[in-house]
Amino acid sequence: MSLLPPFSISDLSVRYGTRLAVHNVNLDIEPNRITAVIGPSGCGKSTFLRCLNRMNDLVPGAVVSGKIFYQGEDMYAQGVDAAAVRHKIGMVFQKPNPFPKSIYDNVAYGPKLHGKRKGLDDVVEQALTRAALWDEVKDKLKSSGMSLSGGQQQRLCIARALAVEPSVLLMDEPCSSLDPIATARIEELMAELREQVTIVIVTHNMQQAARTSDTTAFFTVEVGEEGQRTGTLVELGETKTMFSTPSDSRTLNYITGRFG
Amino acid sequence: MSELRKAFHEELDSVRASVIRLGAMVTELIPRGTASLLDADIEATARILASDDDVDSLSLEIEDRCYELLARQQPMAADLRSIMTAIRLTGDLERSADLVMNISKATRRLHGLTIDPKLRGLIARMSEQAQHLFISAIDAYADGNADLGAAIDDMDSRLDELHAEYIRTIFAVYSQLNGGSDLPAAVQLALVGRYYERLGDHAVNVGEHTVFMVTAVRAEHLGAERAMRRAVNASTTPADPTNSSSPPPAES
Repeated sequence: MSLLPPFSISDLSVRYGTRLAVHNVNLDIEPNRITAVIGPSGCGKSTFLRCLNRMNDLVPGAVVSGKIFYQGEDMYAQGVDAAAVRHKIGMVFQKPNPFPKSIYDNVAYGPKLHGKRKGLDDVVEQALTRAALWDEVKDKLKSSGMSLSGGQQQRLCIARALAVEPSVLLMDEPCSSLDPIATARIEELMAELREQVTIVIVTHNMQQAARTSDTTAFFTVEVGEEGQRTGTLVELGETKTMFSTPSDSRTLNYITGRFG
Repeated sequence: MSELRKAFHEELDSVRASVIRLGAMVTELIPRGTASLLDADIEATARILASDDDVDSLSLEIEDRCYELLARQQPMAADLRSIMTAIRLTGDLERSADLVMNISKATRRLHGLTIDPKLRGLIARMSEQAQHLFISAIDAYADGNADLGAAIDDMDSRLDELHAEYIRTIFAVYSQLNGGSDLPAAVQLALVGRYYERLGDHAVNVGEHTVFMVTAVRAEHLGAERAMRRAVNASTTPADPTNSSSPPPAES
């Protein structure tokens, strides 16, 4: 396991058509840590996250400007293959979205896509084990992924992401459709995965950010003179500091519920 | 089913271990403070006074960790009481170490004075009793033993008795004040007795906080219930005719 150089993001802005959704974000994401991105609705936290594996390329009208270096390479440079980027930077979404395939095929899908034919059984077992799901599904690998509970489906999606051995896992509100027990299981899993994977999690649940992350980035919405709403990064810091002595009053107002 | 929130619970266990370590530091300081007082050992006294920094350092560390756990982990029920108890115990233990420091400062002030043999004996016994209370209180906390925790209050009566006897003895020994020149020594010795007595009170607190941690019942509940009953009785008892609102008769 090698410590990867950080994500380094400078002057990042995102427009959807004429609307400026995220403005001028500058931050570094450190390796093998959990970075949480919190903030009110519309602050651009999910938009920001989608920039990190070029998912915004798929959004019509989205224009990303600024620089994102991953492992020292400009992710948005000409000639960079977005699919190759996503190979290294996996993503887990708000709603569990297993393929309508067997549990086994869900996990084997990525490796197969990348040409792997031999040792798939081992890859599947390893990914499911890392996602803390193996013991629950090892006897029914041929069952449909859709037959699992919501929490299990989400761990299946994590296993699917891990199967291609990404170095970063992006999580977009991964627990928002899960009950507290399933949520706690995912949070424990994140703590275990951090040893091998850099995690960036967007969450509207700031308690979850407080519990799970090492670093917290707080985004907010700025409303312009004509009512246009733009997301901006307010503060980035150690989670302990952010939730006990944040330096910006906007962060304090948000985490103490005095926002607005 | 694997344990959820394993790291959080490991941190709680670790905080508890640190509180026990702080308790052990205080428990060990008491006989050292007493020995240096009775031996008039100024060098040992200086070492004891220096060790207060270690106590303060560990206290701050525990409080910081509890603060972080409260800020980040949303503890519930027994976990919440465990953190609250760690914070309260740390306060009592840190203060207890300060009381031993006060004994050591008195050791310096009393240097050169020959302490009456009966007072020496009582100091030694108060010290043993205070140490015994801390050992029991910290055991109760470490084992989550509410019965033992609740018993510390009763056990403290013995220290209170020794303290009362000690004060009586000071009066007896110093009743023939030598033109007032013995007064400072008598006052210093009385204060020393007071420090031991206060140590016992903090051990009682440790026991009561432990009861709260284990059972969620606080020792003050009984008193609070009595206060509520008195308030209810006062609001339902008819007004006392001798205490009516009519103006008192004018005095002649």
